[in-house]
Amino acid sequence: MAVQAAHAGGGIADHIHPEPQGFIRRYVFSIDHKIIGIQYMITGFVFFILSGLLAETIRVQLMNHAGGFVSNDTYNEVYTVHGSAMVWLVIIPIVTGGFGNFVMPLQIGARDVAFPWLNMLSFWMFPVAGLLLFSSFLVGAPVAGWTEYPPISLEGGVGTSMWCAAIFLIGVSSTLTGINFIVTIMQMRAPGMTFTRMPLFVWAQLATAPLSMVATTALAAALAALFIERQFGVPFYDPTKGGSPVLWQHMFWFYSHPAVYIMVLPVFGIVSEILPTFSRKPIFGYKMIAFSSMAIALVGFMVWAHHMFTSGLAPYLQLPFMILTYVVAVPTGVKIFSWLATLWGGKIHLTTAMLFALGFLALFTLGGITGIFLAAIPYDLHIHGTYFVVGHFHYVLVGGSLTGIFAGIYYWFPKMSGRMMNETLGKWNFALFFIGFNGTFLPMHWLGILGMPRWVPQYDPQFEFWNRFASVSSFVMTFGILLFFVNVIWSLRNGKKAGANPWGARTLEWQLPSPPHYYNFKHIPNVYGLPYDFSLPLPYKGLDEELTDSPAPVPAGSH
Amino acid sequence: MPHGAVADPDEGQVDQLYAETRQLRLQGFLLFLVSDVVLFSSFIFAYLYLRNTLPAWPPPGINRLDVGFAAFNSVVLFGSGVTMHYALESWKHGKFARYANFLIATIVLGAAFLAGQGYEYTNLYMREHVSWSGSGAFGASFFTLTGMHGFHVFVGVCYLTVLLLQSCAGVYTKEKYFGLTAGTLYWHFVDVIWVVLFSIFYLI
Repeated sequence: MAVQAAHAGGGIADHIHPEPQGFIRRYVFSIDHKIIGIQYMITGFVFFILSGLLAETIRVQLMNHAGGFVSNDTYNEVYTVHGSAMVWLVIIPIVTGGFGNFVMPLQIGARDVAFPWLNMLSFWMFPVAGLLLFSSFLVGAPVAGWTEYPPISLEGGVGTSMWCAAIFLIGVSSTLTGINFIVTIMQMRAPGMTFTRMPLFVWAQLATAPLSMVATTALAAALAALFIERQFGVPFYDPTKGGSPVLWQHMFWFYSHPAVYIMVLPVFGIVSEILPTFSRKPIFGYKMIAFSSMAIALVGFMVWAHHMFTSGLAPYLQLPFMILTYVVAVPTGVKIFSWLATLWGGKIHLTTAMLFALGFLALFTLGGITGIFLAAIPYDLHIHGTYFVVGHFHYVLVGGSLTGIFAGIYYWFPKMSGRMMNETLGKWNFALFFIGFNGTFLPMHWLGILGMPRWVPQYDPQFEFWNRFASVSSFVMTFGILLFFVNVIWSLRNGKKAGANPWGARTLEWQLPSPPHYYNFKHIPNVYGLPYDFSLPLPYKGLDEELTDSPAPVPAGSH
Repeated sequence: MPHGAVADPDEGQVDQLYAETRQLRLQGFLLFLVSDVVLFSSFIFAYLYLRNTLPAWPPPGINRLDVGFAAFNSVVLFGSGVTMHYALESWKHGKFARYANFLIATIVLGAAFLAGQGYEYTNLYMREHVSWSGSGAFGASFFTLTGMHGFHVFVGVCYLTVLLLQSCAGVYTKEKYFGLTAGTLYWHFVDVIWVVLFSIFYLI
């Protein structure tokens, strides 16, 4: 019997390991990519709540131009940990480790990722890193902002070293996940799934994985050097001892600009799945969307110094970085127009997932456009270090990534849990989030142009009105996000049974029961075409038994 | 196989499985080496950047590094690369004794390289008074990069020793020897990194 399973379909992807028994091996130290994906999401959302509270601390402090809610030192700690946690403990783990793990192997017709044990190891570094970062509050958290520029980051207590260790750890986890995903996508696709038949979410993960692998390793070097300098006094960044603070900026941004694409490329993938499904139309420009992800990933490595126009780079070095940054806008624009063309003339279903995806389109485009402003050297010199920058990257990371994360959860929640989420609550969630978000971050653009600096606990009284407006809006947004959590918890118990394919979607994961079995596929299917042609029959063969009671495949070696 | 050993399905299937998992592991291992290259490249970038900020290199008060001894030590390391190559080739041809001799030679040469590096460090510290934290960018970049490389050599020596013991215990066969392939790749990788480090620290 063992042999039968292995002969049905595609070689390595068809090998199964026996399902583990017992709660610990099944749900805690699991090697199942679906469980690990959900673990990433739950852990990520726990850190999301914590760093969201830090964000609200910032907004409450800024209600009053004189501050007064927390001390100046605490304020520095709060925005530093808020930024670091949101980037490394919330968005990156959820979009790569979370969605990537749960969805990608199902979409390529595999039974798991290439290295399941490595996958488990990657996951468990993540909560440890998070605890390390948040526990730095007990000994004095880092205060130099999430970018931790020296020389400020060379001062202060052990908290900054803990920050280094935590980010290093999550970086190793990210690198290992990147390696794992590249090998999985390269080697374990179902028979017939050529590269140009892969779902766009898989393409997005394939573009992201090398970024996680290469860029994160460069960051690891920068962090190691900072740690060594802080702990052993070895001069890399301290100019008084022969180091250079600008060196850190180069190494940090060589990672952190690609990190923007690590955070947003997978979300492009999520949106590329949701839009055709709810427009009931093939995705427009499949190959252009796929290849533009790769182009973004490639060019994304060559633009880092646009964060450093005020750091004293020679002008002949600045110019190519400005131009290359404009170049990134081209593949991004290709995507935006392809998505709009997908919507054009489609039969649009405004489900909550679709609303969030459309919200993503609007907000991310705004964030992208202000990015073009910032890439222009003369303009950047004017607004560098102001709230304009804060507004810009929150449009990209909250309006882009986080909105996309919500879209993805509303879309795949039925597949993960077997139950539908509540659409009424979902629409309230979207409306409050969308209105609150714009109210919070739109005013930051003109506050910045008028000259309000970021990272300050007090500010000029003339900015007070718009700061209060932003703070009140942020409470609305927070309430909207609260509804999301209410919705998830309510739907887990009371949601309507989803069935296999509640959205009528065509990628492989929707052809399986919800939630899928441990082994994913009874037989590995054969793939004959793209998953987006809504007028054609499904391009898969060998899925007939998936929704029947036919026996599960027998793990190799268990007879 | 990360999934654990397959008990006893028929031989053909095991071979098929081996070929495929070998492919996965090889690709994963190569990607790991790529990320390691990035790690070294980042520190090399840091070194060249810091060096470029200074008017003179080595900074005043520090002598140029001694090329002679380092060149000798490099030959020792490259020699170990050659013996490693022959070790793997002997294994592929089923000549176990030859394989074991070459592998032991590799381990000894690797250890000799480490000893040579220890000698050089001691020399720099005792005679030239160059230290990790007290000699500015020079000490920081030299000791960090060569130390990282030395650590890789040390890990390699340990790994090769484990491989030697494993192959004596019969873990690998003439057809299935992924561990040996990985060890060889790793050892050549360490060699290549040293070529770069030697050039940028001793030659330019």
